[in-house]
Amino acid sequence: MALSRTAVPAAPEARTRSHPHRAPRRRRRALSYWPQYLAISPFYLLFAVFGLAPVLFSFYLAFQRWDGIGESEFAGLDNFKYLIKDDVFWLSLRNTLLIWVMSTVPTLALAMVLAVLLNSVKRFKSFYRMAFFIPNITSVVAISIFFGALFATNYGLVNALLEAIGLGKVAWLQSEWGIKVVIAALTVWQWTGYNAIIYLAGLQTISTDLYEQAKVDGANAVQIFFRITLPLMRPIILFTVVISTVGGLQTFTEPKVLVGDSGGAGQSGLTMVFYFFRQAFSNNDYGYGAAIAMVVLLVVALFTILNWALVQRGQDGRTRR
Amino acid sequence: MTISRRRLLQAGLLGLAGAAVGTTAACGDDDSPTGGGSGSESSDISLWYWSGGLSDKVVADVPKQFPGITFKPSQIGGAFKDKLVTTISSRQFMPDITGIKGEDIAYFMAQAGQFLDLNELGAGDLKSQYLEWKWKQGSTPDGKLIGFPIDIGPTALFYRADIFKKAGLPSEVADVTAAAGTWDAYFDLGTKLKKALPGTFLVGEAAEVFDMAVNQSTKRYADADKKFIGDQEHIRRAWDLATKAVKLGISFKVQSGKQDANAAMSQGTLPGKLGAAWVALDIKSAAEKTSGKWRVAPMPEGPANQGGSFLAIPKSSKAPKKSFEIIKWLLDVDNQGRGYTDSALFPSAPAAYKLPALTAPDEFFGGQVTIDVFGPAAQKIPVAYESQYDGVLRDPFAAELSNVESKGKDPEAAWNDAVSAAKKAGERVGVS
Repeated sequence: MALSRTAVPAAPEARTRSHPHRAPRRRRRALSYWPQYLAISPFYLLFAVFGLAPVLFSFYLAFQRWDGIGESEFAGLDNFKYLIKDDVFWLSLRNTLLIWVMSTVPTLALAMVLAVLLNSVKRFKSFYRMAFFIPNITSVVAISIFFGALFATNYGLVNALLEAIGLGKVAWLQSEWGIKVVIAALTVWQWTGYNAIIYLAGLQTISTDLYEQAKVDGANAVQIFFRITLPLMRPIILFTVVISTVGGLQTFTEPKVLVGDSGGAGQSGLTMVFYFFRQAFSNNDYGYGAAIAMVVLLVVALFTILNWALVQRGQDGRTRR
Repeated sequence: MTISRRRLLQAGLLGLAGAAVGTTAACGDDDSPTGGGSGSESSDISLWYWSGGLSDKVVADVPKQFPGITFKPSQIGGAFKDKLVTTISSRQFMPDITGIKGEDIAYFMAQAGQFLDLNELGAGDLKSQYLEWKWKQGSTPDGKLIGFPIDIGPTALFYRADIFKKAGLPSEVADVTAAAGTWDAYFDLGTKLKKALPGTFLVGEAAEVFDMAVNQSTKRYADADKKFIGDQEHIRRAWDLATKAVKLGISFKVQSGKQDANAAMSQGTLPGKLGAAWVALDIKSAAEKTSGKWRVAPMPEGPANQGGSFLAIPKSSKAPKKSFEIIKWLLDVDNQGRGYTDSALFPSAPAAYKLPALTAPDEFFGGQVTIDVFGPAAQKIPVAYESQYDGVLRDPFAAELSNVESKGKDPEAAWNDAVSAAKKAGERVGVS
């Protein structure tokens, strides 16, 4: 609450300032800013060529039949009609959602715990922050190969440990759930630090006065966390949930490296993006690949909105940012 | 030193202008004549291949052999086929000569119009020097040669003689050859091996047996008339063999090439591997310490081919004749021998099998002369029509096979599901 009170005033003022100008004057003013526009243009030019154009083209492709080289042929809704009946697609959607839940929930929970711990650390602050961030900037391919070795069924370290404490071997990469657990574990390892750093930034904006007042009123640590920290962190949690959704629903590299093009045992590592890649680039069915990609976009949008609604729920208008 | 604002803007504008000029210049390329039968060929020749696709030493010798040309070889990393497809689609920066991987040849064969018919450039005279089935694989059904043979992948059974001996199985090459003549006999060896040394498996995974058995057939998933034949006897046989290996419990159930399989090969718990000649390199790097303990025997029920690539000349090449001269030299008998030594490229020209490079005993295989196995195998590869849709049609079989192997799905139910899924996928691409 204290957060939003400081942030809100700036916005209405800016809005009223730009309002009264008439259109021609605004255009002239826009023109007079050309050096600034020029300065930011490289990003937009590159984005238009390498971001926007491919997106638009793949939208067009979704309604075509194309093998990559020859003439493409208009297919209407054929690709989408086939997709609805395609069991492998539904399997890939199921895999994606399961892996996403299995990775995002522990990631964000752990990140919050880590952030609270980091916030109370007095020494080696930057060291911890760096240490937790490093997994995020490490190559996913390298980590995947490493996790592949770690979770190898017969000669992996994890199974060696399990056997040492008397539990049996688990066929991690040869079983339906094992594959998902390994992919989720990898994602958790890679993204917990990143989210913790974001949470830490959020925690640091919470005024210590609030904590002191709560302590004076006799609140214990748990109460402080759930009554003060968590509500104030809501916008930041929303941000991380959205980012994790967008990223998690597009999981690709991890299963590709861990289980290869087959998708692993029972194709249980076959995610939506992986399936789209396989159809387009291995099987040269670019039109169908593009159609799957469009559905990926839809699913990501849907779940982002859903998350937004869920996390925002029960929150009064004043704390909105 | 500080840079003034004006200076920075000027530099930025110059850069933008430069980029714009570059783009228009590149577009201009499109107007220049493509192909060209005239004598005034360009003397700039570019070659695309991938790391290990050709012997780097032979490639480096091209300028010495052809002093008149400017030769620009590039090793294209990553997904080679995708980059070639993108370049062909954009019609820009096309190489004069390009490699095509064996698994992609059927796809490019359907795009034969993008490449020159090498027969028209004189390849016909060389036909007798190369393996007939390989030559056919690089030719369109109407006889245009699109891909000139680089190497082939004749398959064999790689096995650990020491482990076989320990299990009381035949271990000498001649004895194993006699004992593993059929798939059933081979599976028997697997059963005995497992009984003698529990935890030891002869078969890496069911898909290994399945793919090898399919490759042994003269038919695959679709015929030249785009008819689906994946529900026929030849695929069923491969399916039955693969599921039998699972049922007998002699499959190690791990993906080949992954850490588990590699570790098992050096530990001795996976003392067998069905693979092409180039698999020798994989085993050598995966199980370095087991040098001298491996042997090569013929594959049960005859050889198959797996992999092996081609060189092609895109139709946009500005110097087709010179390009073909280079291909001819790059892949002549002597250089095929060098390719084998440098990059384990198994020659597609049988005359090379008599070169010292190939007849030398291999220490990793206990001094065995492996060409004695691979040479005759190379000559006996069954010719099958390869459809560009084989990949799409194979996916459901591989998926269901993995269900049988990892989830214990009933093989008969899995077969029915695989066939109906393959049919459905086939209908989408026009195979029925």
